[in-house]
Amino acid sequence: MKRVGFHASPVLGMRPVFWRARLVVLVLLLAFMALAVKALDLQVLSNEFLQRQGERRYERTLVLPATRGKIFDRSGTVVLASSVPARAIWAVPEEFNRADDAQVRQLADLLGLPVGELRQRTAGDARSFVYLRRQVPVDVARRISALKIPGVQQLPETRRIYPEGDVLAHVVGFANIEDHGIEGAELAFDGHLSGQPGMRRVIRDRLGRIVEDVQAIVPPTDGHNLRLSIDAGIQFDVWRALQDALAMHKAQAGTAIVLDVQTGEILAMVSLPSYDPNETAQRSGPAVRNRVVTDTFEPGSIMKPFTAALALDSGRIGLDTQFDTGNGRYAYHGAVISDVSRNGRLDVRGIIRQSSNIGMTMIADRLDARSMWTTFSELGFGRVPNMLFPGMASGRLRPWQRWRPIEQATMAYGYGLSVSLLQVARAYTAFARDGDMVSLSMVRREGRPTSVQVYTPEVARLMRGMLEAAAGPDGARLAQVRGYRVAGKSGTARKIVNGHYSKNKYRSSFVGFAPVSDPRIVVAVSIDEPGAGGYYGGRVAAPVFADIVSGTLRRMGVRPDAPVDALVAAAPAREGGIR
Amino acid sequence: MMRLSVVLAGLLMVSALSLVTLRFQARELFMQVEQLKVGAHDLENDWRRLQLKRAELARNARIDALARNELHLVPVDPERTLYLQQGQGRSEGQP
Repeated sequence: MKRVGFHASPVLGMRPVFWRARLVVLVLLLAFMALAVKALDLQVLSNEFLQRQGERRYERTLVLPATRGKIFDRSGTVVLASSVPARAIWAVPEEFNRADDAQVRQLADLLGLPVGELRQRTAGDARSFVYLRRQVPVDVARRISALKIPGVQQLPETRRIYPEGDVLAHVVGFANIEDHGIEGAELAFDGHLSGQPGMRRVIRDRLGRIVEDVQAIVPPTDGHNLRLSIDAGIQFDVWRALQDALAMHKAQAGTAIVLDVQTGEILAMVSLPSYDPNETAQRSGPAVRNRVVTDTFEPGSIMKPFTAALALDSGRIGLDTQFDTGNGRYAYHGAVISDVSRNGRLDVRGIIRQSSNIGMTMIADRLDARSMWTTFSELGFGRVPNMLFPGMASGRLRPWQRWRPIEQATMAYGYGLSVSLLQVARAYTAFARDGDMVSLSMVRREGRPTSVQVYTPEVARLMRGMLEAAAGPDGARLAQVRGYRVAGKSGTARKIVNGHYSKNKYRSSFVGFAPVSDPRIVVAVSIDEPGAGGYYGGRVAAPVFADIVSGTLRRMGVRPDAPVDALVAAAPAREGGIR
Repeated sequence: MMRLSVVLAGLLMVSALSLVTLRFQARELFMQVEQLKVGAHDLENDWRRLQLKRAELARNARIDALARNELHLVPVDPERTLYLQQGQGRSEGQP
């Protein structure tokens, strides 16, 4: 083997080419410059963007849900509406279709849905999100997640529960699945009840635990609780009394309301037929209507005291003014006005007690239309009641300029105008108080209510006496309550069917207050189309009134003002007795 | 001069280590706070649930049915009620 010396290498023997070395240096230099530029870009120029991208990998924005406020009755202990956590069950159809039949059957059982419907809803692959069922209770949701069905996911949400159900349905109303009030107090006080969701940005570690807040937390503000003026106990009594009456008289519908005379608070408000606000399917149709405030009707005789009081107040008639109502038929401006019975000569007391239409016509004849209209307006007829509640009807009271004499007469006894039961009940507080009508409230009231003086205190006192007689032995006897003096007026109005007054469809009402010596409550009852057991207000509605009054005064602890034959006696306190 | 640098370097190390430890502790405490908050939330939910359960059990309709049908109670009459006037009991007892 020939040995070649290192220095004898022929390559080295060549003359080096300098441009090659320069090229290498240049390329290296360029490469380093490229690195420097890249570093500058990453570290300085797009630093912010990159950091944000990095944070986005482990930072999360959480929405902190706010809870809707609870609704209580006036005692503050009975829950009428409250929200509890629930879950929405949803599915990714593509993955869900891989679940086997047994799993789907178990899921369907837990959700209370037929298997076919589940399969049908998740049939198309086009969508990547399908709600299977919303508002599922948490314990059921837990069992569903234990099934580990592919593609089935859950979302937290809240569910509104109404423990009193149909008894308070119209008062409390309901909120929809998005927690917005739809009916009743839930709608009227939606702003007060609903909260403001909060927000926080956090860093999570790889296990999903929250490690740190990135920004200041925006805390959720929970909705405020609401305390209604309703007394759950009285409400139930009224509901029961009305329901019994409806069943007994086979009536279409019934309404009742109880007002606190001193504070103007609504203690109970019942509208039948009712519905269960917990059942979404029942939340539509005529049953949802709160007939107490939304339905207006021709009131009939329950209007008579207002006209009579106006006539007394303005001095157009006196207590001893006599009216000859004759034999019960009276021709007036081309129409015939008739009474149920022949009453002969009556004074204003007799007219109210006998509920004489002819007598009222004669009284109205002495009044001018304008003052009648003014008084009726002051009593709130024809105007939307000034109270926070949805669906308030104004009723109908035409302007006095267009009243014909016969219309003025019929309005004096309650035809030709329409009112809601709430309006009538409120107007009666003018008699129960000293001539001033109190403003109403659906929420518990602190402090004194405002009131409008409609009649003088003397006239109000006179009317109390007349109304007590009207609910006495010669009037609507069935309105009487053991232990308490009651006053009130019954009304029986024919309903208008196809533009004519019906001969067999009536609305029977009774409005009154008790105890007469110091009125505490106004109770108004109205029963629509009683089909059996009579139709007169004094026959159908008065017993319901009596039932409600006795129950309510007992619950309120009001001392009887009528003599009762006590079956129990207090043992005389002896010296050195119980101390 | 040299000694001062060494001391300062030592202090720097200590401070750096304590910073790390404190941050770790802060995160741990924060996690505890979070857990407790979740606990408080759960308790609040339990309270709501129990309150509703109580409301369900104390429903007037239920109580009324139980009182009438099972216990055979009747509403009290004014005849069977003794009404005491507030504040008068004492003055009546005095001669």
